[in-house]
Amino acid sequence: MKNKKFTLLIIGVVAVTGFWISWVSYNPSDEKAMATFVSVNELMNNNINKRIKLGGLVKDGSIVISETNQLECNFILKEGSSELYVKYGRTRPDLFKDGAEVIVAGQYNNGVFYADELQTKCASRYEGDLRNESSYNLTEVQQ
Amino acid sequence: MEILRDYGLIFIPFALSILYVIEPLFMSKLANSYESEDQKSLKRKKIMLYRQIKELEMEYDIGNINNKDFTKMRIELKKEVSAIIAQLKSK
Amino acid sequence: MTPVAGGVALSLAFGFGLLTVFTLLIYTKNQDQRLFLVGQRLALGVSFFIFLATFILSYQLIISNFDVDYVARYTSIETPFIYKISALWAGQSGSLLFWLFILSIFSTITILQNQYKHHELMPWVIISLTVTQIFFLILTNYVTNPFKPTEADFIVANGNGLNPLLQNITMAIHPPTLYLGYVGFSVPFAFAFSALVNRDTSPLWIQSIRRWTLVAWLFLSMGIILGGWWAYQELGWGGYWAWDPVENASFMPWLTATAFLHSIIIQEKKDMLRLWNMVLIILTFTLCIFGTFLTRSGVMSSVHSFTESSLGPIFLSFVFFIMIASFGLMYSRLDDLKSPKKIESFTSRESGFLFNNMIFVVLCFAVLWGTLFPVISEAIRGTKITVGAPFFNQINTPIGLILLGLTGIGPLLAWRRTGSKNLIRKFTLPIIIFFISIVSFLLIGYKGYVVISFSLCVFVTTAIISEFYLGIRVRKNKFKESLHSALINMISKNRSRYGGYIVHLGIVFMFVGFTGHAFDREKEFSLQVGQVEHLAGYEFELVNLSESERPNHYAWISKLRVTDHQGQFVTNLYPEKRVYFHNNPDINRRQPHSELDIYSELNKDIYSIFSSIDNQKQIAFLKIMINPLVRWVWIGGYILVFGTLIALWPRKEE
Repeated sequence: MKNKKFTLLIIGVVAVTGFWISWVSYNPSDEKAMATFVSVNELMNNNINKRIKLGGLVKDGSIVISETNQLECNFILKEGSSELYVKYGRTRPDLFKDGAEVIVAGQYNNGVFYADELQTKCASRYEGDLRNESSYNLTEVQQ
Repeated sequence: MEILRDYGLIFIPFALSILYVIEPLFMSKLANSYESEDQKSLKRKKIMLYRQIKELEMEYDIGNINNKDFTKMRIELKKEVSAIIAQLKSK
Repeated sequence: MTPVAGGVALSLAFGFGLLTVFTLLIYTKNQDQRLFLVGQRLALGVSFFIFLATFILSYQLIISNFDVDYVARYTSIETPFIYKISALWAGQSGSLLFWLFILSIFSTITILQNQYKHHELMPWVIISLTVTQIFFLILTNYVTNPFKPTEADFIVANGNGLNPLLQNITMAIHPPTLYLGYVGFSVPFAFAFSALVNRDTSPLWIQSIRRWTLVAWLFLSMGIILGGWWAYQELGWGGYWAWDPVENASFMPWLTATAFLHSIIIQEKKDMLRLWNMVLIILTFTLCIFGTFLTRSGVMSSVHSFTESSLGPIFLSFVFFIMIASFGLMYSRLDDLKSPKKIESFTSRESGFLFNNMIFVVLCFAVLWGTLFPVISEAIRGTKITVGAPFFNQINTPIGLILLGLTGIGPLLAWRRTGSKNLIRKFTLPIIIFFISIVSFLLIGYKGYVVISFSLCVFVTTAIISEFYLGIRVRKNKFKESLHSALINMISKNRSRYGGYIVHLGIVFMFVGFTGHAFDREKEFSLQVGQVEHLAGYEFELVNLSESERPNHYAWISKLRVTDHQGQFVTNLYPEKRVYFHNNPDINRRQPHSELDIYSELNKDIYSIFSSIDNQKQIAFLKIMINPLVRWVWIGGYILVFGTLIALWPRKEE
């Protein structure tokens, strides 16, 4: 067996997998495989029909949970000064609350963003500023 | 007091470790400890070769090596072992 | 043991580190044995001061000294004792110190173990390890010091507390295990680097690093599996692997390390692939550092990442430094790395190993591609594109299946060349069984990858069993042993080989579990007490809702009665909705948490999440998932660990 044949084989394997990886990159089979990340402003200015992702903060006091079905909720996503009305109807992550940093994925239609994915980024609570808790009742938590 | 407490505690391990580190500098020039090391690595090599021979036999018995290769490789390994044994004896 | 002392210890370690490198460099020039001894002792000193600093930080965490910023940020008075200790690796600066701590353990072991061994190699081994220590010491001394005092214009009465997600035993041991793996590869790398410097191509050092590599590999594997287990038990999305950048960061060095473990066998036995092995170990070590960088820098958005920090550029420079230094050195040593022998045939064990290596590296590249795709697309096209799990699954499934197939084919091939007679003898049975299983799985109604994956699992298992059978038969005939003692002797005389086969079996189990993912079902719904809901032939009845106050949280508990389609009782599930820090007057400081309940059987898991509660109407909002075969993944993990331990078990020097 000549060494040449092995070199050819290695090149072959690399070429086939290279082709495969780039093919999947251009034609992902699942619409959730890739999503473009846009800002709220970009979304407002362009008409985007694709599934997209957005990031921002949950506006304080904007979370409204449906009376009839607690799974459904809507809130306002803030990114800088832009705001976006978001509807979400699935199980919410534990860290989802006022001021939380979230990433939503879904589709935009007529002023409403219908999210099918809602992720919270690491809780500011644990990386945030220290608390002034001179008023905090220590004995209460120690028991 | 504060400073003494903060730095005093760390000073003790620091001083001890410095003594430990510079101690060799006061030794007379060290003889090269190669010879005993050479013996050891030769012995390890011998053990390794013995193991390789056993593995080779196993592979042959299972049928992972053909007859011709087996005999050739076995002879090669045995030659290496005897060379090492000779070296070990000469010392 | 004040925090100031901790800071001083870190500075001293840094100073000792510089001295170590300096002394040993002089030693390599003048060969004065005294200097070598001094260098060794200095290196031990570096580790000693790092141990000291780590103990001081742990002590501060235990006594809750909130004057230290790190202690105030990651613990609070009510944090349970064990999590006060695990807070050591919960935050950025602490985890970097912890990295150093583990590296120092390994460095100390390496130095002590090799005091009278590998005399030529040791100076550069120590230099490489110390340079790595110095890098992390720069970070902990000057960039993110764990002993930084608290800066607040008020007295910090209580700390922020540890994230409840991290208050979990698995989460307490997952990072250390992973770190032991990451850090473990610095030792084989140091040996390889030193061998390059010394132009040493003997198989002796390869022998010694094979064990180290295997230990590091074992820890890395366990760390990855524990991470998956934790995600599955705690995160509540019903899966164990999300192709998150940080998960990928641990998977990539695992792939190259696995390739390395296979290809050093060839170098040991046949003295081939010298250059390739160097490339693999350098890549593995670089990927470990890169992985730490991805985890700790916040460059990638990920569940693991900390908020953005200044670590990025420094880490990247170190990664480039390692790559340039090692590949540059490798280039200058190309002549020594030419292997005297060549692979002779496609149908040889050697070529099987070569194939397996190529596929591992290709898989690693695919994962790297997907992980960096958002960064690349933003740089080139200006649009930020995020890549999700389906992308990775689509790319990696066929590659993974090829690897699985090779797991079965490789061990059946003979060294150098498999004659056609031998090929027929060894492959007939596994291939027949492979085709039978394809047909039967198709008849059951499975499709696509599922059929291929299950059939390959059967194929590989058959191949492994037949290897065991052949070995036992040989011993029985040759040594007249009983079946039992033939098995035991065969394994104990060829530990790495049969240990390896057992690891392969573990991988097969895991693939069965991965394939089960294709049959996942899930449903989100609300239930009033007494109502029922159906999913995949199971009936779920909400029996009652109760509440309970516990030491560090408040919990609402729902009781779900699960029956199968025949009305037979299966189990009761008790998913909980908890609120941590429930006594905190500031509502925003309170932390809700869904504690899942999972019923696990060999063929499926029933996974329940209590997402929210309507107290007035007594309605629970639940998410139920049926995840088939998940348990096989964990069983595969146990088998993998068991097999690796067999391969690692030391042999008596006969």
